[in-house]
This record gives sequence, C-alpha cells and structure tokens, in this order.
Amino acid sequence: MSTSPSDASIEVAAAYYDGQTTASRAVQLSIDGGDLLLHSDALELRWPLGEVHVSERLGNTPRLLTYSGGGHCEVNDQAGLGRLLAQVGAGRSWLDSLQHSLPWALAAMALMLIIFAAAYKYLLPWGAEELAMRVPASMLQKMGDSTLETMDEYLLEPSTLDEARQQALRDAYAGLRTPADAQLKYDIIFRSSPMGANAFALPNGTIVMLDGLVELAQDDNEILAVLAHERGHVERRHAMRMVLQSSVVGLALAWYVGDVSSLLATAPAIIMQAKYSRDMEREADVYAEQTMRANGLSPCLLGTILDKMEAAYLAKVKEKHPEAGAAKDDSAMDYLSSHPATKERMRLMCPGN
Amino acid sequence: MQEQFGQKNQSFEFTGSGWEYFKIWIVNLLLTIVTLGIYSAWAKVRRLQYFYRNTRLDGGSFDFHGTPQAILKGRLIAFGLLIGYNAAFEYDPMIGLGVAALLALVMPWLLMRSLRFKLYNSSYRGLRFGFAGSTGDSYRAFLLYPLLAMFTLYLLAPLAHQRIKRYQFDNSRFGNASFSFGAPVKGFYILYLSSLAVMLGSVLLAVALAMMMGSGAAGAAGIISGLMLAGPFIMLVMLVAMLVVGSLFSAYMQNLVWGSTTLGPHRIFSHVSARRLLWVRVSNFIGIVLTLGLFMPFAAVRMARLQIEAMGLAVSGDLSGFVADQQLNATAAGEETAEMFDVDISF
Repeated sequence: MSTSPSDASIEVAAAYYDGQTTASRAVQLSIDGGDLLLHSDALELRWPLGEVHVSERLGNTPRLLTYSGGGHCEVNDQAGLGRLLAQVGAGRSWLDSLQHSLPWALAAMALMLIIFAAAYKYLLPWGAEELAMRVPASMLQKMGDSTLETMDEYLLEPSTLDEARQQALRDAYAGLRTPADAQLKYDIIFRSSPMGANAFALPNGTIVMLDGLVELAQDDNEILAVLAHERGHVERRHAMRMVLQSSVVGLALAWYVGDVSSLLATAPAIIMQAKYSRDMEREADVYAEQTMRANGLSPCLLGTILDKMEAAYLAKVKEKHPEAGAAKDDSAMDYLSSHPATKERMRLMCPGN
Repeated sequence: MQEQFGQKNQSFEFTGSGWEYFKIWIVNLLLTIVTLGIYSAWAKVRRLQYFYRNTRLDGGSFDFHGTPQAILKGRLIAFGLLIGYNAAFEYDPMIGLGVAALLALVMPWLLMRSLRFKLYNSSYRGLRFGFAGSTGDSYRAFLLYPLLAMFTLYLLAPLAHQRIKRYQFDNSRFGNASFSFGAPVKGFYILYLSSLAVMLGSVLLAVALAMMMGSGAAGAAGIISGLMLAGPFIMLVMLVAMLVVGSLFSAYMQNLVWGSTTLGPHRIFSHVSARRLLWVRVSNFIGIVLTLGLFMPFAAVRMARLQIEAMGLAVSGDLSGFVADQQLNATAAGEETAEMFDVDISF
C-alpha cells in the first residue's frame, strides 16, 4: 500500500461495473475529501459522495454503491464498508438495527402475538358488532329470504303439524314480552327436517321451527325458551357478525400462511371460529334468560329443553353408528363443539337447580 | 467474440440463511400488521432484494430495483379488482359475469406490464433484464390459448402452458442478449399425461384396497365400517399422491422450461431432483405446522436454495461480454406513461 500508516484512510475491496457491460473490475474504495475514490492499476474514478446511493444492509448480502452518473460497486466486505461509511458519518438506520438483531426479532414476535390475540379476542368481535348493528333491515330481510329459499330447496320439508297447533305456538310467541325494543318483525315458520329436534333463526327475524322440537317439548314454555334464545341470536345480529368475523379470520390466515397450503389456512380458521360461536351462544342464553324472567317464566326451562335436545341427538347418532359407542358420549361432538357444554349453560342460567 | 470452444459449467449459488432471513421477515411482518398492510410493499422489496442479492453467478450477484410505490400501486389495483369482482357478484350474478369478462380482457395486458416491471427491475452485474413481449402476443398467450384449452376439455392445456412459458421466456432479454425458449410442446404433454396417469393409478389402487378391506369383515356392519374407513383412506392416498406427483411435476417442469432455454451463446441447465424437492416440501410443511408459521422464512430459504443451486449456465467464453440495450432501457424507464403503468400485480 502506498499510503503511510499515519494516514487513517480505509480501503475496501469492491467489484466495479460500469452499467454498460457485464465486465467486472476489481477496485479499491476509499474516501478522499468529498469523493468516493475507486482505483485499480487500470482505472481511477471519483464519485462525489452526494451522488452515491448506498444500499441498505440486508443480512450478509453484498452492498451496492450506485453512482447517479452510471455504474455501481458491489462490496462483500461488510465490516470494511461499515468502517468506511463511519468515516463520513453515515450511521445505521433504525430499520437496519431492527432487521439484524435477534432481541428485536424476538420482541417483534412477542408484539405480533399480542396484536393477534387482542385483535382476535376484542377488536374483531367489537368491530363486527358495530358494523352488524348498522346493517339496514332491508338487507337483513334479503339475507333471510335467500337463506330460507336455499334451505327450503335442499334441507327442509313442509311441516306436518296441524294448523291449530302452529297458530297456538305463534300466539304464545307473539304474547312474549321482550327485554329490549324489538327492531325486527318476528315470526315463526314451521318445517320438518331429518335434522330432528332443532330451531334456528334467520337474519331477518324469522325463526324456523322444526317439527322434531315441538314433539320433543312437553311444555310449550320450553319451546318459548328456545324461541327466546333464537331471538337473542337475531337481536344481537349473530349471523352477520359471524360472517364478518369468520371472513376476516379466514383472510388473515390466508395472508399469513400465504401460498404454503390452503389446508394450513382452513384448519385453524375453523378452530378459531368455534370460540366466536360459543360466545354467541352464551350471549343468546343471556337474552333468553332475561326474556323468560320478564315473562315470569323460569329460565331453567331452556336448560331442560337443551338437555332433551342433546339426548335426542345422541340417540340419533347411536342409532346411525352403533359401533361408535361410548366414545361419542362426552359432549365433544361436532354439533356441540360450536356450543358451550350444556351443563355449563344450565349452571349459569339456573343456579338454584 | 472469443473463441467458442472454451465452455464451462457455472452453477448458481445461493448464500441466504434461514436465521438471517427470519430476522428480516419478522420485523417486516410486524410493520406490515401495524400499518394495516401498507408496509407489505416495502417488505416485498426487501424480500426480493434479500433473495436476489444472495443469488450469485460467477462472483456477481443479482439485484432487484423495483420501488415499493409501484408495488403498492399494483396491490391497490389488485385489491380493488377483487373487491369490485366480489361486490358485483353479490349484487347481481349477471353484472358479476360482465365484470369477470372485463377482468379477463384486461388481465393479459396487466400480466404483460407486470412481467416488464419484474424483469426491467432485475439486474445482474449492473445490467438490467428486460421484457419485449408485445400486447398482441400477451392476449394470445394469456387469453386465447387458455380459452382454447377450456373449450377442448383441457386437452390443449399442455399446449396453452407451453405457449405461456414461450411468451415469457422468448421475450426476455438480458442487456442486448435474448433468451431463447426451446421446450417442445411434446415435453409438456408427456409431463401432464404421466402426472395424470400416476394420479389416476393411485386413486384406483386406493379404491381397490378400500373395497378389499370392506369385504374382509362379515355382514352389513362390515360393509358399513369398510365404507367409513374407505373415505378417509382414499383421501389420505390422494393427499400423498398429490404431494408426490406435485413435486415430480414441479421439478420436471422447472428442468424442462429452464433446461431448454439459452441466453445468447450460453445454455441454461437445470437439474432439480424431484426426490429432494418432495423432502423439502414435506419437511417445510411439518416445520410450519409445528411452529405455527414461524418456520416460513426458513422454508423459503430452503426452497430457494434447492431450486437455485440446481441451475446454472453452460458458459461459452465468459460472462463479461453482455452489453446494455439502450433502446430497451429508454422505453422501459424514460416515458412518463411507462412509469405510470408500471405495476406489479404478483404477490
């Protein structure tokens, strides 16, 4: 080296490309006044520092010093370039530090976990509720109509209950006092279905009552309890909220796992949605409890009928798959996994029992 | 030009590391979430730069020059199209179909712009790549041939695939040198048909095995339990077959497409092993499941290493003879409108 040791100038090896051909030329880089000096036996170039763009550090990838007048240098000596840049006072950016430190990576991981959990537990249900409560009644009506149309076509059959019985239940339901001002026109329609003893609410306030449930209940007040529960689903806009929440969860997971696999994105989505579904069942239970109390009826009736529905469902499963046996007896089947355990629901609603 | 007989094989090298990329990835992921997705464009530039700059050939590395703004623009366009598409279908299926047809009409042009963006913003040893495909040819490749394939019950799908690849490769440039695509249609048909045969064969085998299992037990209960077992069993065999056939297909496709391509006087070679590709895929999948996704950056690095290091250039003479194409550079960067429509719709 021609310079004396007292000269603090640092030299860094680089490959120079002129941008016109792919010919690679080995050069030494140094700082000389306000210029970046490139020199080798065959060439010497001066690039004013203000016109040189230094690429950000990305792992151990080569760094590029690009001259606005054309040409660039590729540097593999990270440490040497760091010292050279320090000479002209070029520090590291905050992003550079973040991207290359393990503590920051772990901190980012923890933060992300907190954000995900908070969004899942609080932000998303809150946002979906705010939005769902603003959906106009006309849209809910349309959603309910089209759902019923589809179900009538594929799942439901006409009811076999006689008209007088249907009317009696309708009247009983119409006479029910509700805790909050009802926003929707409520009515019951009767259908039968191989699904058995069940009832479900459509977004527009229509409750579809299956013959199986009417046959199962010994007391009409039990039916009112189920109706109040279903009404809670409608009043709280559960169908709309579920659609919103599950599509956001689905989208977020699809984005996160990206192109890895659609299977990887759907399996956790189903598990995550089950929690939302359980929360909504509890909310509807609370609504039903309030309704029952307001009408001087025991909230325990809902527990009684739920117990019967569960027993009827289990009997049906056993009948279909006799070999399934005892394993299916604990309340962890597909129907109930989206519902809280019946025992827990009863305990909450009817503590004296 | 130098004499032509001095030929040597020069392999691509990939120098990225999983841990290094993990740190970059996680910070960028967090910033993307905090900015509600806006930062994803900046994150993409970093990701591409990390992978490009870690790809080396004969001592020089590749680089990506695309701006986050162009990528953000492309993403906003893609997002808008998606929303419009879904909203239209929700509103009225007929309008939805109209929008779908409109999208199909715009798509080839967008894909062409996207290819131009991607290649123009890629460089090696200071020289830019480029894409010179015409708009007319993009409609032939991305619309006409896929439609032909659809209307012939996908009998022409391999042909359509070959035409798309040919459009992409034949129109690519490096400096003033052209890529030339030589993979014959026959190669695509062989690959498609053999994959289909293996897939069908394994399904038939699974069904036959399931039936044998079912008939082993006596009585009605035996048949029912046999049928109950058969469903999941056939699904499992399908899944394994899809993994194996998928890996074979990807490996052979990469080898076919790249192995039949030349750049100027240099021939490209590609020898990805399907067995290793399958192993990397399966182990990546398991790693990602077990770590709830945190293994993804490691998986990306492993896959890139496998696919990149299996390729190389049979160099004729040396690699310092490429010269910049002044005209291509001028058309891709100079015009205001080119800048305006430089979009990247790939994710």
